[in-house]
Amino acid sequence: MPNNVSSKSPAGQSNWLSAFTAKGRSWFHRSGIGGQLLSLMIVTGIFTIGTKGRFLSGANLQVILSLAAIPAMIAIGLHQVVVLGGIDLSVEGVVASCVVLVGLLAHNKFNSNDVRFWIVPIVVGFGGLAGIMNGVLHTKLRIPSFISTLGMSWILWGLAVFVSNGQTVPLLKNPLTGFVHGTLLGIPDLALLALALLVIMQIIQDRTRFGRYLYAIGGDEVLAAQAGVSVEKTKIIVFGIAGLFYGLSALFLAVELDSAQAITGNNLLFPAVTAVAVGGVALTGGIGSAKNAALGALIVTALNDGLILLNVNPYAQEAVNGFVLVTAVALTIDRRKLGFIK
Amino acid sequence: MVELEHEGPPSAQERAPVRRKRTGIPAIYFAIVLLVALVFLFTLGNRNFLSAYNLNTIASYAAILLVVGLGQMCTILIGGIDLSVGGLISFVSVAFVITLKTAGAWAFPLCLVVGMIAGAINGNILTRIKIPSFIATLGTGGILTSLALMVSPLPVDVPAASYGLLDIVNGTVLGIPNLLLLTTAVFLFFYVILRFTTVGRKIYYTGSNIKMSWMSGIDIGQTRNFAFVLSGLAAAIAAMMQSCSQFGGNPTLGKVYILQSIAAVVVGGTALTGGTGGAVNTVIGALILSVMENGMNVVGVDAYFQQSILGIVIIVSVALTFDRSKTAMIK
Amino acid sequence: MTLGHQTSRTAKESVLELRRITKSYPGVVALHEVNFTVHRNEIVGLIGENGAGKSTLMKILIGLIQPDEGSYQLRGERVTLRGPANAARHGVGMVFQEGSLLPNLSIMENLFLCHEIGFRKFGFLSQRAMRETASSVLSLVKVTSDLETPISETTSAVRQMVEIARLLWLSRLYHQENPVLVLDEPTTVLTENERKTLFTILSEIKSQASIILISHRLQEVVENSDRIVILKDGKNVTDLEAGSAKVADIENMMVGHTFAAERYREDEQVEPGNEIVLSVRDLSKRGAFEPFNLTVRKGEIVSLVGLVGSGKEAVCRCINGLEKPDRGSIALGGKKLAPDSPSETVRSGIGHIPIDRRSEGLALGMTVAENVNLLVLDRLKVAGLVSPAREKDNARRLIQECRIKTPSSSTICANLSGGNQQKTVIAKWLSAKIQLLVLDHPTRGVDVGAKEEIYKLIRKLARDGISMIVMCDTLEEDIGLCHRMLIMKDGRLVSEMSCPRDKKPSPGNIIALIV
Repeated sequence: MPNNVSSKSPAGQSNWLSAFTAKGRSWFHRSGIGGQLLSLMIVTGIFTIGTKGRFLSGANLQVILSLAAIPAMIAIGLHQVVVLGGIDLSVEGVVASCVVLVGLLAHNKFNSNDVRFWIVPIVVGFGGLAGIMNGVLHTKLRIPSFISTLGMSWILWGLAVFVSNGQTVPLLKNPLTGFVHGTLLGIPDLALLALALLVIMQIIQDRTRFGRYLYAIGGDEVLAAQAGVSVEKTKIIVFGIAGLFYGLSALFLAVELDSAQAITGNNLLFPAVTAVAVGGVALTGGIGSAKNAALGALIVTALNDGLILLNVNPYAQEAVNGFVLVTAVALTIDRRKLGFIK
Repeated sequence: MVELEHEGPPSAQERAPVRRKRTGIPAIYFAIVLLVALVFLFTLGNRNFLSAYNLNTIASYAAILLVVGLGQMCTILIGGIDLSVGGLISFVSVAFVITLKTAGAWAFPLCLVVGMIAGAINGNILTRIKIPSFIATLGTGGILTSLALMVSPLPVDVPAASYGLLDIVNGTVLGIPNLLLLTTAVFLFFYVILRFTTVGRKIYYTGSNIKMSWMSGIDIGQTRNFAFVLSGLAAAIAAMMQSCSQFGGNPTLGKVYILQSIAAVVVGGTALTGGTGGAVNTVIGALILSVMENGMNVVGVDAYFQQSILGIVIIVSVALTFDRSKTAMIK
Repeated sequence: MTLGHQTSRTAKESVLELRRITKSYPGVVALHEVNFTVHRNEIVGLIGENGAGKSTLMKILIGLIQPDEGSYQLRGERVTLRGPANAARHGVGMVFQEGSLLPNLSIMENLFLCHEIGFRKFGFLSQRAMRETASSVLSLVKVTSDLETPISETTSAVRQMVEIARLLWLSRLYHQENPVLVLDEPTTVLTENERKTLFTILSEIKSQASIILISHRLQEVVENSDRIVILKDGKNVTDLEAGSAKVADIENMMVGHTFAAERYREDEQVEPGNEIVLSVRDLSKRGAFEPFNLTVRKGEIVSLVGLVGSGKEAVCRCINGLEKPDRGSIALGGKKLAPDSPSETVRSGIGHIPIDRRSEGLALGMTVAENVNLLVLDRLKVAGLVSPAREKDNARRLIQECRIKTPSSSTICANLSGGNQQKTVIAKWLSAKIQLLVLDHPTRGVDVGAKEEIYKLIRKLARDGISMIVMCDTLEEDIGLCHRMLIMKDGRLVSEMSCPRDKKPSPGNIIALIV
């Protein structure tokens, strides 16, 4: 981007069209989703050809959207921690314990509890609390986030299985079932909700002070502290928000499966981290926003859907994802920030 | 020691608030105290804890964990971590059994080589592509888990005809189970390499101060590769030990070892920041974990709850051993 | 604004007064009873060598550190500032050399970071209000870049301006009159045109602020300041009107410490051998230094002298294999080297005492023995394995030879004093069989007693036939230690001076060539 380029034309009068396109171009350039959109097109292209068009059928697109909704929510929660420069490996544990909580409180075969709509704030709140705990451990004990969140994941997972005795709790009809399986104009409701959440988080990131502080810490934590940012407080909030998203995802997962079991949380971490990395959120921090995370989830889901349609060995899928993860990180990481790699 | 750090403009680190200092007592003393305390507690809970049978159980569990832990320790000593041990153990577990059927005793050396190659790949990814170890090994771990499931989606048994080959692990020499002898051999191997060879020392130097090591002429890439190769080797040995004693392989077996190996290393007093700790620490750590698992069973604590306790133990151990003076910011 | 007393300059009201500031560190007195005043609407030039105390004084000024003694008055009231953020609220700020802006945030975001509360509308930040304010603030410093440009995409000049604008805006926001801005070597990274723009802007800003200008470019300081303050060895030297100052006089006032020849053990300076050990031909690196030639003989001590931007550090980095030059050759003992990494240079026999011993010289968490034996493990082996007995012996020998004060060879290096840590670093290289040693500020941050012992060690190394390239903290040290001095300026070798034992040049001769 050239310096000293003002949005006014040289003649000094603002030409709204040129200003508009210049702004559009600079937003696009800076938003960093160019690569992701390109990847999405490539993935779509390859699989459409490979499946002779089946990939782009209405039914399949609907499947992709509905499959991508929950990973997108998880990714939106997770990516902010990555923007800070840390990582949150606690998804599985948080989801496991939230799902078990659903089993305890929702209308089910095992007990007569039925808290109806209150299930939403309770479960989401519990997730948020777990997230705050993550943040507190990381900031107060001053240990790396990967260990504090990994440890929390194990703690919560163990608790979840212990409390539920490893049993599956079949859920009965509840107010959310319709929403989780419903569609609006062909688009799954969950996908629309994910989109709404994406817009909300994006606005928060772009237009609030909290958003500034988030990116400042990710850019250079020491300089941010020097400028006056309350680093600890911001970090704890970010982890808390991530927990909220995990809680919400757990709720929908349980309702979707009509059952609550601790293992629902398994195998969520890997795709989530991959989604965030593929979306262009750099592990080194400071770069990437909610739209990146959601797009990443979409790309990863589309990729895996395509692999299934092509009848690729299901076990190979994780290998492909592993390869994609390493590549995505390698491409987005800011090596100057890392100094020496360990 | 407060110093006139430098007379030039304040560095970014100096402009940030001051950090506390480390304590002087080596972490291993805490670990030993913890071990003794645990043994004491569990014996109080159930006198059978100290029976010969129970001690044997503890030792056997600790043995395999120790082997994995020793490998993990090498990567942690150099300042990284190996999250791919789970996938590697799963893979070798089944690959070993299948190779036994086709190649007989050659399965042993072959699997050792596979482990070393996996480690070398990890090391090279880190050196050439320059991404942090926890992401790279997360990725390679996923790939290895996939490979394990592709090779054999379900557990496989060792054919009865090959049982003799397994005696190298299952047999006894002068009444001592081979498993313990092998573990001792592996322990001595790691101990000697880390303490008494140049390349082992370089792992310590690199983990303690990578910049200084580089400037003093240490080949960081080579040292790192070596650490990861050792980790892969250890994981392969552990997988084979497991397959032998269980008379079969299991492609989902490895996942639990990720947590356990990191715990064994960290609880024994080796800091995640690298450069301090050693084989003996990992022995104490493996024993602590084994005692905890066994003890909680004997006393009647739920198996799943144990995982939570392990999580807490890891967080506490890291909090106590992490060297915060090494970095201005903790991510 | 003061009216009246217009003829008398001394009647200018003072905004900031530091009085009798004293600050010490173990073994070093950084500042001794220093007085420093800034008046309204003036530009003060602050001059002094490295180690004169400028940085420490400025750190105290913005509240990064607190003085041991002395008072700090701001606009007539006593203050205690608690760091840059707190200082900014009092209208005192510093533009650091490396910059304090977040690279991934835009110009506008950086401008208002942490103080956006005034722009809030229903919880969200009003873009329009921010843009308006930003444009008007930035116009003061003549920045017309797009406000959304991330800082990482701007030039150093723009970044400096944004930082100045931020400080000005913050003082307006907190109703602090006549803010004081410190600029630390602002022109080092600027082009000729950018420098002119900077000083034009500074003279315009003068009407509402005061500026402290730290620069080694004396001409520039004389031309653009109202008043000049010179520090030397942590004390005030003088305070003069820029109008009547002459660069040559300033140079003389900056240097000229009382000079003890015994300090640098000049009597131990032995003539170097004839054999050429290091030969550097046509070494160049774009952006750092131009074709550079150097020969060093056996046992010779060559000193590289120059200010920020002279290129001397880059030359040494290339010699040590830490950086690759664009062109040229390096040969050690006749053998050509094309080092790709430090491991090659070390193997060939070139050592390096780095400027920052804590992060680059030692493994602080490891013992003295482990650190000094790092380079010679192969020699301490018995039957293929490193022998603990030999390690201990080697360590003991070196501890004695280098007079490292440590309770034992198993003491953790973090517990040693700075001087002893530095001696440990030197011991490490002493043990290895090197031919050339590059010493980067070998006595920085070391107490007087240890400095002396290090000078003794350096003489010993020379006697043992080890050639050395040194870069020291003070000109005196360079002159005292070396046989020959190479003076660099703006990336070029401008002069060479010989420093024979009995006819050492004086710093005054040299300083003119450097600045």
